[in-house]
Amino acid sequence: MKGGYTGKILRVNLTKKSIGKIDTEKYEEFGGGHGMGSAIFFDLVGDQLPFEAFDPRNLIIMMASPFSGTFMPGSGRCEVQGLGPMLYPIEWFGHSNFGGRFTAQLKFAGWDGIVVEGASDDPVWINIINDKVTIESARGIWGMDTWDTQQEISRRVMPDKKYKWGEWAELSQNCFTTQVPAVVCCGPAGENRSRLGALLHGPGSQAALCGFGGVFGSKNLKAISAIGSSDVPIADPKAFMDARLWFRQFQWNVDNPREAERFGKGGPYALISGRPSGGNTLNRDLPLTPARAAACASCPRGCRMRLATGDTNESVCAGTLTVKVDGSLKFTRQGSDLMHRYGLGHWQFMPLMQYVDTLYKKGVLGRGKQIDTNLPLDMPGTFTYVEALMREIATREGIGNDLAEGCARFAKKIGRYDEDVNSGDLSLAFWGTAIHYDPVIEAEWGFASLLGERDLMLHMMANYPLHWMAWSGDPYLTAEKAAKLYTDAMVPYQGDPFMVDHSDGPTGIYSDSKVKQVAWIKHYEKFWIGAGGFCGWRWPMCITNNTADRRGPTPEAEPKFWNAVTGNNLTFTDYMDLGHKIYTLDRSIWVLQGRHRDMEVFPDYIYDKPTRGEDMPMYIDGKWKYATGAGRTLDRKKMEDFKTRFYKFEGFNPENGYPTRDTLEQMNLGNVADALEKKGRLG
Amino acid sequence: MSKDKKSDKKDTAPGKGISRRDFLVTGGAVAASTLIAGTPANAAGNKVKYPASKGYLVYDSKKCIGCTTCMLSCSLVHYGVQNLSRSRIQIMQDSWGKFPNDVKVAPCRQCKVPVCVQNCPVGAAFIDNENGNVRRIDSDKCIGCRTCLKMCPQQPHRTVWVEINGKYKSSKCDLCIDTPYWNEKGGPGGKQACVEACPVQAIRLVPGMPDQEETEGYDVNLRNDNWYNLGLVDDSEMVPKMSLEWPKMAGGDE
Repeated sequence: MKGGYTGKILRVNLTKKSIGKIDTEKYEEFGGGHGMGSAIFFDLVGDQLPFEAFDPRNLIIMMASPFSGTFMPGSGRCEVQGLGPMLYPIEWFGHSNFGGRFTAQLKFAGWDGIVVEGASDDPVWINIINDKVTIESARGIWGMDTWDTQQEISRRVMPDKKYKWGEWAELSQNCFTTQVPAVVCCGPAGENRSRLGALLHGPGSQAALCGFGGVFGSKNLKAISAIGSSDVPIADPKAFMDARLWFRQFQWNVDNPREAERFGKGGPYALISGRPSGGNTLNRDLPLTPARAAACASCPRGCRMRLATGDTNESVCAGTLTVKVDGSLKFTRQGSDLMHRYGLGHWQFMPLMQYVDTLYKKGVLGRGKQIDTNLPLDMPGTFTYVEALMREIATREGIGNDLAEGCARFAKKIGRYDEDVNSGDLSLAFWGTAIHYDPVIEAEWGFASLLGERDLMLHMMANYPLHWMAWSGDPYLTAEKAAKLYTDAMVPYQGDPFMVDHSDGPTGIYSDSKVKQVAWIKHYEKFWIGAGGFCGWRWPMCITNNTADRRGPTPEAEPKFWNAVTGNNLTFTDYMDLGHKIYTLDRSIWVLQGRHRDMEVFPDYIYDKPTRGEDMPMYIDGKWKYATGAGRTLDRKKMEDFKTRFYKFEGFNPENGYPTRDTLEQMNLGNVADALEKKGRLG
Repeated sequence: MSKDKKSDKKDTAPGKGISRRDFLVTGGAVAASTLIAGTPANAAGNKVKYPASKGYLVYDSKKCIGCTTCMLSCSLVHYGVQNLSRSRIQIMQDSWGKFPNDVKVAPCRQCKVPVCVQNCPVGAAFIDNENGNVRRIDSDKCIGCRTCLKMCPQQPHRTVWVEINGKYKSSKCDLCIDTPYWNEKGGPGGKQACVEACPVQAIRLVPGMPDQEETEGYDVNLRNDNWYNLGLVDDSEMVPKMSLEWPKMAGGDE
């Protein structure tokens, strides 16, 4: 292994209290991050599936990538994998990731990832200081919120037990750093095995999906801390530096931005122009709170903020959108922070809070009602209500014990799942996770989620650049030009603009072109986002407002950087093929858990309820235009036909959606084929 | 802006703020002679003048986004690896801190009185007269006594403890004069990896010596209206020139 890897993956068994390692080289063919994580999961516990997420056999796998710890733009995320207790109806082998600087510090400590097995008898945390790894008692920390946990652990890690910053610390002889430990932890929600339990790193960086905070709790694992001072090797340093400077042309030039009058104002371009800030929705209006644009490790954008008031630091998007306290920006910000402190996953808490309100308004839930609760439901929009709801869920007090089971299982328990999910009163869409962008219009988002294991949560896959450009009212590309440029970058399927046709005509959302787009998304998701640790708010970059010809760095940048770091000499297509392989492995694991094509259907409301529409490029009556598709419904028969063609395209059996032996063996996954055959689920 | 955005930092334009006294910098005694490169400067009785560096890294700590790209660029061009601990510019952050006190930017100041040079017992720390008087450390000569780490008046110290060929030595910013892993000429007339790689242009090389008495001499305002238009203001009375309004739309989430 030439560059990018440290060569070893940490393996901690909490039952045995043992610490070992796995040679990274064994899994090099999977790239890193998600790819390696899937392969390790299959190797260690694949033959024991199915079992439950809170079973000690479940793993927490937290993988870095060859890019982690380097200045590869937008690659600072940490991929977390394991069975996800939030997911429904089966706790699928899922993934969630978070930004910040955890994987950077993990790499500087000399590790390519962490695999946690078993469960401890008593609360513990894992302390990684370079090569030295210890399992520490979490007495005195268990019960703390996520902020206090991280700061207390930082104090315990640093020499002389002093949590300080702004000075060199000698971690061990000759090993200096000015950095503070990077800690990831669960909050009270995770400790209490809430299926909403998120992992928190820093004040607001969440791994929000799948409920991995609850898995931490089930293992009596409170936190993992990493800090290091060693080298991340680079195969071709000169090429890597040249690539980084070449990439500047695609960045927002903060001193002299291209077409500042057009792209520099508030609104949708704040999200897609690549400019700093823009992610914190609670500091957009006058009077502005003075703030810093605060980046994750190595990100040239810096979409987060740190405020002069110190609240909502490093929170973005749903992390600042979930809580609304009427009339008080201050309390709204504090409410968001409270959600992070309890360790509640925002993308599940948001629909759950809405559902509780819906049930209250229906007269089903409330004091003395069918579902009895003392929650102050008559005080909606107040901090008092928000705090009470969060506390009860995180601590499983009162009705919180049921709500902590997550949206789907709560609805099932009260006997309303079928009615409320199919009607859309409980707005779930993909495996127990909430509706996001409209699957009826932005079909690739919905289809790729359905053919995955949870909400896609990858905004740069057509959705952001096209959707927000159109909705800005001032798109910088015509629909025709946008379709052509965007799909030019979609190697190896380039040259088919109808991949981003969002009409429901012959070339639209049910077409073979859409099959290719969804496959491209899954492959890019699994390799570049998953194995590469890319941020879904930055990559891919198929088009951009920051260049004269509007072409983005995709697909040139990805292999340029990867090859410089690792010393490989592969093409973008080669890596997308690896993405296909990783997706096929993930799908095989889901099949071992019970996945069948018949399960891959949306709730009824997504098919039947006419959509309000979303602006996207559409090819209608022989012309490209931006249109909303308002009033459209999703055709069940056409959707099933789409699935059949997708399965065939990917090498899965269209009868059941299972990967075939031919497909698996072509990918050097013959052992996976054997495992599927043993279960009678080979496609 | 509704309010003038006068820099709250001192001007660092070439020549400004540099007095005759600044040029007659002494090591605690009367300036008398020119230091010869590689010569220990603090030999008893020496009265030495330290020629001023012809280049200084200044930065804008309010503009810094904390991505650490500068640190990793520094590490890469000098050592061919990525390692924050090898970087000669250090960025430190408190995620829970309050802006602007959540970030500390710490490059070498190329001090007018180079204490590292002054106190190195073997002359490994020297002034490179052939390359714009940049204060440098010759790692081949460094014996690893850590004197320069201890004597650097800055916090954190700007000399950096690194492993080189199996031995631990001191190093420091050379304004990219010696970058085996970058095909660019460095030094005061050339390019610096941190300056080039910073995605928000928060680091700049200037020829004039910043105020030595105040940190603010190095921590300058490198922002213009385009920065404030991002909504990243210094105080709540500032109003960006560009509209912050979101257009009315049919709906949708972020």
